[in-house]
Amino acid sequence: MCAQRIIDPDVVIVGSGPAGALIAKQLGLAGRKVLILEAGDRLPPSINSYMERFLNATAKVPESPYQPDLFTDGNLTDPATVNAGRPTVLTLSPNGGFGAWQDPKQAYLIQKGPLAFASTYERVNAGTTRHWLGTSLRFVPNDFEMKTKYNRFVDWPINYSVLEPWYGAAEHEIGVSANVQQQGYLGITFEPNYSYPMPGIPESLVDHAVEKAMPTLKVDGYGLQNIDWTITPTPAARNSQPYQSRRVCAGNTNCIPICPIQAKYDASVTLADAFRTGNVDVMYRCVASQVVVDANGKIAGIDFIRYDTIDGPPVERGQVKAKLYVIAGNAIETPRLLLMSKNGGRTPDGVANRAGLVGKYLMDHPLYLAWALAPEPIWGYRGPLSTSGIEICRDGEFRRYRGAFRIEIGNEGWNFPIGDPYTTTVDLVDGLNDSGLNRDKEALYGSALTTALNNGLSRQFRLGFLVEQSPEDSNSVTLSDKCTDHLGLPRPQIRYDLSDYTKEGFAAAKATASAIFKAMNAAEFTSPPAPDDPTSFEWHTFEGPPGQNVRIKYYGAGHLVGTHRMGTDRSNSVVDDKQRSWNHDNLYLVGCGSFPTVATANPTLTLAALALRTADHIVKNFPP
Amino acid sequence: MTALTRRNVLSAAAATAATAVGPATLPEAAAAEAEDMQLFVTLSAAITGIDAKILAPAVDPIDIKRQYFKVASTDLAFCQILKITKDAPNPAAAADRVMNNPEPAVKYLGRSIILAWYSGCWYKPETLRAYNSPNPPPPPVNPDKVISPAAYTQGWMWRVAQTHPMGYSEWRFGYWATDPPPLDDFIGKHA
Repeated sequence: MCAQRIIDPDVVIVGSGPAGALIAKQLGLAGRKVLILEAGDRLPPSINSYMERFLNATAKVPESPYQPDLFTDGNLTDPATVNAGRPTVLTLSPNGGFGAWQDPKQAYLIQKGPLAFASTYERVNAGTTRHWLGTSLRFVPNDFEMKTKYNRFVDWPINYSVLEPWYGAAEHEIGVSANVQQQGYLGITFEPNYSYPMPGIPESLVDHAVEKAMPTLKVDGYGLQNIDWTITPTPAARNSQPYQSRRVCAGNTNCIPICPIQAKYDASVTLADAFRTGNVDVMYRCVASQVVVDANGKIAGIDFIRYDTIDGPPVERGQVKAKLYVIAGNAIETPRLLLMSKNGGRTPDGVANRAGLVGKYLMDHPLYLAWALAPEPIWGYRGPLSTSGIEICRDGEFRRYRGAFRIEIGNEGWNFPIGDPYTTTVDLVDGLNDSGLNRDKEALYGSALTTALNNGLSRQFRLGFLVEQSPEDSNSVTLSDKCTDHLGLPRPQIRYDLSDYTKEGFAAAKATASAIFKAMNAAEFTSPPAPDDPTSFEWHTFEGPPGQNVRIKYYGAGHLVGTHRMGTDRSNSVVDDKQRSWNHDNLYLVGCGSFPTVATANPTLTLAALALRTADHIVKNFPP
Repeated sequence: MTALTRRNVLSAAAATAATAVGPATLPEAAAAEAEDMQLFVTLSAAITGIDAKILAPAVDPIDIKRQYFKVASTDLAFCQILKITKDAPNPAAAADRVMNNPEPAVKYLGRSIILAWYSGCWYKPETLRAYNSPNPPPPPVNPDKVISPAAYTQGWMWRVAQTHPMGYSEWRFGYWATDPPPLDDFIGKHA
């Protein structure tokens, strides 16, 4: 038997990411006994082992510091050989070569298209907060009422005012730095005398360069003609002063994949608090394999498979029992578990799925990326990866016909779009021009090299547009009937596409990016994707040649949303507004999967607010 | 090849030939090794554009030069570039002679050495040459390996951009709101 110190838990939680950790801590504080099952590994004694993996990685992608290893003997690790696999951005390449998006020997997700789902996640202590950016924006009020305001999609079963105090609680729980007086745009309100737990993070010189262009910015069409453009410092779960035993940000410019000094919140902070209550324990390397339902429709236990080594055999198959169960996988692993839970044929469509909606409405913030060279040095590659954004375009009448977006101003030069400073450095040394900054393909050395490289890198910047994706029931997570992981469990199968509504959001993003660059007198270098890029599509734009489409690339934002949506009744949703299953009284499905719509804000703060509200509901409704 | 002969690729061989009394003795070998390293640093400073006093300071606890010397010395043309450096009238001439060398093996090893100092990665000379061939492989140009964690954190491309390696800030909270120090403070004044 494995060492289970909580012998008779009140609550079992699957997943130690932010939703699971926040609920575990609150329940532990309230005296409930909680056992967490975590599919991945524990935190190493020092994060230096993660750092070493990052430093040694030739591809410093978001997943690079964590396990399972991305590479085995020089090839991408076959996901069938590891017990708790996960996707990587390295498997978004055209079919037929390295990183082929539909090759199950390279890609963990079984992607059925027509487009590639581009976001990834971690299965390890603290979940995907290991590699998140830390952006902690509130939704704007209209985000909860898309049907009422714009006759689009569905309303949430709760509105902004219900969530307002929980946003405040979440901001204090995960430690957000921001100034209230800068965050009250588009109807966002705060409780009286509210303040964030830490003052805001200073804006970067890149932010200031973009800000200077705002008064002259004009965007034609797309409903953006009358916007009063301005930039807004971004609330971030990143320390501007000591808080929660975390260090103050030193501007490592490495929030993704890893903050080397843990100045950025991750769920291990909350887990540590949870353990200190004495009421919470976690079992690592335990993959939940079935949610067990009894004859009365109550959840009776969680089956798990435990392993010792990442690619070794199972060492234990067991079941944990409690009064209450919380599934906090993520919007892919949670529906996967529910759909795997067939209970010997008694629940053939899986658990919590009487409405047939589990796994449907998968969303992301497909990201439009544009990059340019400022007319003078603006000193990127300094500070947190992003310190400001343009938020004022997140809501408007245009949402009747196209996706909205927020704009993230990047502080890391062209690192995200082209892998710089590597690409430009190799260009200038080897006489190539992949970056676009070495048009004459000169091979430089000595002071000519330092001058040219400094001139390029110091002026680089990029903008990321997080586009609102429409919820579509055809965008789904199901189970592969062919491909399994090393435990023999079916891998997630994804169908994914972008709707016309979402694509029109991209057209607006593209036009806005070019207009901002023009207003800054910056030279745009955004390059078009290859025709066989599985993360690209053709679309018409106002600016393009009449009657001709342009090919636009999108990236994943890492935001997995929408596969167990909340709603007003059991026919239109999987969970109620407390994230409780309509079908099983003692089952909660928590996380971004509960969002009925994705809106434009990075989702983790809203996930946290919902998790704290759910924890409060559990404490009040389930006496110990 | 023994470690001794590999490290003393040029000078030891010359010393041995001059005295013609068999293998170099240990003090001679050490001196030869020091001379090879000096030549390597001289050339490295000239081709990277980084002041030698900053590239390889007299008191050098990290001593990253030794790692680059070691990886570069596995290349057959390494001996040649040290000899070219030794024979050149000054470092700038050595840089020109290596980087514009008619022999591709020499020229591309020079580029690999620059990229090692700049990125901490080893880009094989033959890879860099392939991208300049009539039928180049598709981009991106991938390195063979990260030479070491320390090599990443010592990369000069970041300092040339007046910043720090991503994930290795040597600065304090809020530094990003003000201009960085001038470029010369990072890479020195190059002759």
